[in-house]
Amino acid sequence: MSDPYAPLEIHDLTVAYHKKPVLWGVDLVIEPGRLIGIVGPNGAGKSTLIKACMGLLPLQSGWVKFFGESFHKMARRVGYVPQRESVDWDFPVNVMDVVLMGRYGRLGVLRRPSKADRSVARACLEKVHLLPYANRQIANLSGGQQQRVFLARALAQEADIYFMDEPFAGVDAATEAAIIAVLRELRDMGKTLLVVHHDLPTARQYFDDLLLLNMNVVAFGKTADVFTAELLQKTYGGRLTILSEVAQALGAHGASR
Amino acid sequence: MSRTASRALLILLLAAATSPVEAAGVREFVSSDWSTQIVRFFTLQDASVRFALIGSVLLGLSCGLLGSFIVVRKMALMGDALSHAVLPGVAIGFLWNMTKDPLAILIGATIAGLLGTFLVSAISRTTRLKEDAALGLVLATFFAIGICLVTMIQRLPTGNKSGLDKFLFGQAAALSAEDITLMAIVTSIAVVMVVAFYKELLASSFDPGFSRSIGLPTRWIHHGLMLLLTASVVIALQAVGVVLVSAMLITPASAAYLLTDRLHRLVVMAAAFGVGAGMAGAFLSFVGPSLPTGPLMVIGASALFSAAFLFGPRHGVVARWLLRRRGAARTQRENTLKSMFHVMEATQFRTEGVTLHDLAIRRRETIDDAQRLGRDLVRHGLATLSGDALYFTPSGRKRAGEIVRNHRLWELYLTQSANIAADHVHEDAEKIEHILGESVVRDLERRLGYATFDPHGRAIPSARTIHGGDARREGGNGSGK
Amino acid sequence: MNAMIPAFDPHAVLVAPWTENLSLFGWIAAMGFAVTSACGLVGNYLMLRRMALMGDAVSHSVLPGLVAAFLVTSSRGTLPMFAGALAAGVFTTIAIESIHKLTRVKQDAAIGITFSTLFAIGVVMTSLYAAQVDLDADCVLYGEIAFVPLEPMVSVGGVVLGPVPFVRMAAVLLMVGLLIVAFYKELLVSAFDPGLARSLGTNPTLMHYGLMAALSVVVVSAFESVGAILVVAMLILPGATASLLSTRLSRVHLLSLVHAAISSWLGVTLGVWLDCSIAAAMVVAGALLFALVWIVSPSEGLIARWRRRRRAVLPSALSDDSNPVPEAK
Repeated sequence: MSDPYAPLEIHDLTVAYHKKPVLWGVDLVIEPGRLIGIVGPNGAGKSTLIKACMGLLPLQSGWVKFFGESFHKMARRVGYVPQRESVDWDFPVNVMDVVLMGRYGRLGVLRRPSKADRSVARACLEKVHLLPYANRQIANLSGGQQQRVFLARALAQEADIYFMDEPFAGVDAATEAAIIAVLRELRDMGKTLLVVHHDLPTARQYFDDLLLLNMNVVAFGKTADVFTAELLQKTYGGRLTILSEVAQALGAHGASR
Repeated sequence: MSRTASRALLILLLAAATSPVEAAGVREFVSSDWSTQIVRFFTLQDASVRFALIGSVLLGLSCGLLGSFIVVRKMALMGDALSHAVLPGVAIGFLWNMTKDPLAILIGATIAGLLGTFLVSAISRTTRLKEDAALGLVLATFFAIGICLVTMIQRLPTGNKSGLDKFLFGQAAALSAEDITLMAIVTSIAVVMVVAFYKELLASSFDPGFSRSIGLPTRWIHHGLMLLLTASVVIALQAVGVVLVSAMLITPASAAYLLTDRLHRLVVMAAAFGVGAGMAGAFLSFVGPSLPTGPLMVIGASALFSAAFLFGPRHGVVARWLLRRRGAARTQRENTLKSMFHVMEATQFRTEGVTLHDLAIRRRETIDDAQRLGRDLVRHGLATLSGDALYFTPSGRKRAGEIVRNHRLWELYLTQSANIAADHVHEDAEKIEHILGESVVRDLERRLGYATFDPHGRAIPSARTIHGGDARREGGNGSGK
Repeated sequence: MNAMIPAFDPHAVLVAPWTENLSLFGWIAAMGFAVTSACGLVGNYLMLRRMALMGDAVSHSVLPGLVAAFLVTSSRGTLPMFAGALAAGVFTTIAIESIHKLTRVKQDAAIGITFSTLFAIGVVMTSLYAAQVDLDADCVLYGEIAFVPLEPMVSVGGVVLGPVPFVRMAAVLLMVGLLIVAFYKELLVSAFDPGLARSLGTNPTLMHYGLMAALSVVVVSAFESVGAILVVAMLILPGATASLLSTRLSRVHLLSLVHAAISSWLGVTLGVWLDCSIAAAMVVAGALLFALVWIVSPSEGLIARWRRRRRAVLPSALSDDSNPVPEAK
């Protein structure tokens, strides 16, 4: 990690859905080797933030840089765990197929996954304790196992910075522990992880840093410094009502009707 | 996949190239009897039969292949809209120089199809109308424009013989050598593209968000797929017709979807089913020449789907019904074992066997029923019947202990951990006892601190006693439920 | 190619159909209005329930029901026709549901498979029993609305009501209208929120099947005039156009009727001028109306959208606001 640039730098990021702003003027600089939780109420723009960083949503304004470059130049160094519900688990693929998709970004056009890619995929499955399930169709997995398949796919990307969208949603306690162990191991290898998280009490235990988000950055810093009643109140409570009212008005003004 | 497909394609192309172009219509064979017709069909004596068959194979292949992707991408009805939307393009392509020039029709229809799909997304993006309404709207409107044009062309002196009406329901016998050449070219391109970009198609179909995050051009993949889809719909038009070509996309692929869990197998199977359905349709319309080819092909594809729906080994209705029935039979056997255990428990395990009489009383059934249940246990090696008494075999004894243990453990778990009253837990445990696995049982035992009695005060058989086979020492004090 | 588009003769196109040829085109236009408005009214509920494509499915799958009814009763009476259509409609609904529920095939694919199969069977039946059925393949697709005035006339007590298909269609339209007036609330609530409907004492399942039954009856009455595919446009276009102008259901219904009237008049005009299928011309006319509204509608139109975009809502609204965006800490 001898990069002179920060793994992620966000400047004045604004994202809107149907003219209604979801994120407003977000500024962030992320250090390498941190395990960062993104918390905030529903509709605070947590998923939107990570999707916007990876160019999955159009930006209204601002820019995002990965290691000093645009996402497209650095796509190979960015790993992603989408929400589990974002895909159709009846899709005709098995566990191994999904994990191998993590290697696709490194493969050129027209190239098939090689033996080396398969062994990387197997190692990643091993790490999330799913190797025995490699040939299973993905519909025949429990929710926690499906989530670990996604994690294994991200591991197979061998990225330097990871975005994870609610990796703990709907998983059992054992899976949650297994996932957090893997995340810490990645952090100790110097990777940067940004994890959207729903549950405040565990957020405090799991993450080095917390990003309190509600349409913009309420606070960002070491968990111990940021996890205070006052800041949480700001994130979840009244302070931002003005902002959301304005957004509401804008939506009504701009949207069709 | 690629190798077999391309080899088949090569053979077909050779067959097409070597066939002399004869102007023999299928109708000339009508007068001959069935058996000669069948022989004629399969010996490919006549050019028109050859063309019809090769055309059907090609269209089945390309439709099945590309249909797989629209089925797994949940765009099945987009295929329907697309296929209706090409009709005005067909008419305009015809008007280009008033002949059925395959290339002009291909170009016209492709443009119309793409315009249709563009309008669907434009309408659903810019208005409150939902995508399904937009699809139906575009589909029927384009079709109406096409019908207007076709009826106008048919009014023209030359239009009468245009054969444009064949585009509605399809007539494989009307295929010409140029049609076949174009079909072969489009199908080859489709096969080559799918093989070359299989990886990208797979990833972007399964998880578009992730695919974009790793830099795959998902939008271009989508547009490319739509383009190929339109082209393959267009080449299929003459043989299947505008109205039913979408079924050739959806039905073979859906049948394959019920039979396999891997996309590459699905693609190959769907292509094979498409070929099968196409050949069946061509054949049937050959022996019954007044019949349009398209509906017959679709019925062929639907027959394949019905077979997969009913008899598919894993997702088929019959297989799942059998599975459920087998499960129900097992549950019943286990309940009989449990009843035997309860009878023996009531006598503190002082008796070795259980009489059918006691079993019947215990289960509140007739002796005949008890005998039937007992025979079922004997058949499965869980008990032996001597005289009118049933005796556990070792495996029967073990399973009985497990079921009773599962039942009582689960009751205890519910009352202790979930705070459910003791008289409310029996029904639930009746179901759970049959499906608890050994590892869950270990976990339950651990969580319950290896408790020895259930909420009703009856002994829980332990692992040791179950496997040791000697339950007498436990000596439950309850009467058993 | 120029021969294709006839010269525009104002008298023949605009005047003659409504004067000297009124006995012909009057019935055609009336039939067009009856079909489009009945379809439009039912279609409004299909769209509310996001079931627009069920219309597509049912319109195709009534064909085998229709043919079977003709074959069994060897008559073209109204009752066997309705019975066949109802049976086919209910069968389609059940088949789609069971494919979708019993397997992992998704609903859209289930719809596509079911109706294409039934339609294919219907087409093969019409070809096999062409002599008995009296429906040719083209008629199945786009109908023959031009033949409506040639059908026998129905007269009650000396008053001529009109040709059989028109009287039937008008009766269906009347029935649909009465049902909508009678059950307006229930239909609205069960389309909007089935759970709420149930708590208010309406049975949403009953409403669902009732709607499917009405759809089958409407579609089958329209079948011989407009065929299986154009009817889909008539189910969707009036409501789609109306819903770009209003969000209130009662007003959407009224606007659908207006759309039906204009598109049947314009359709006859277009059909006479271009000398093409009049039913298809009616759909094209209806689509032109939709396109016009889509462009100029004050609330949802493309022009209105374009204007709003040019006003650049976001920055101006931000600067108008006295509360600046809070700084990140």
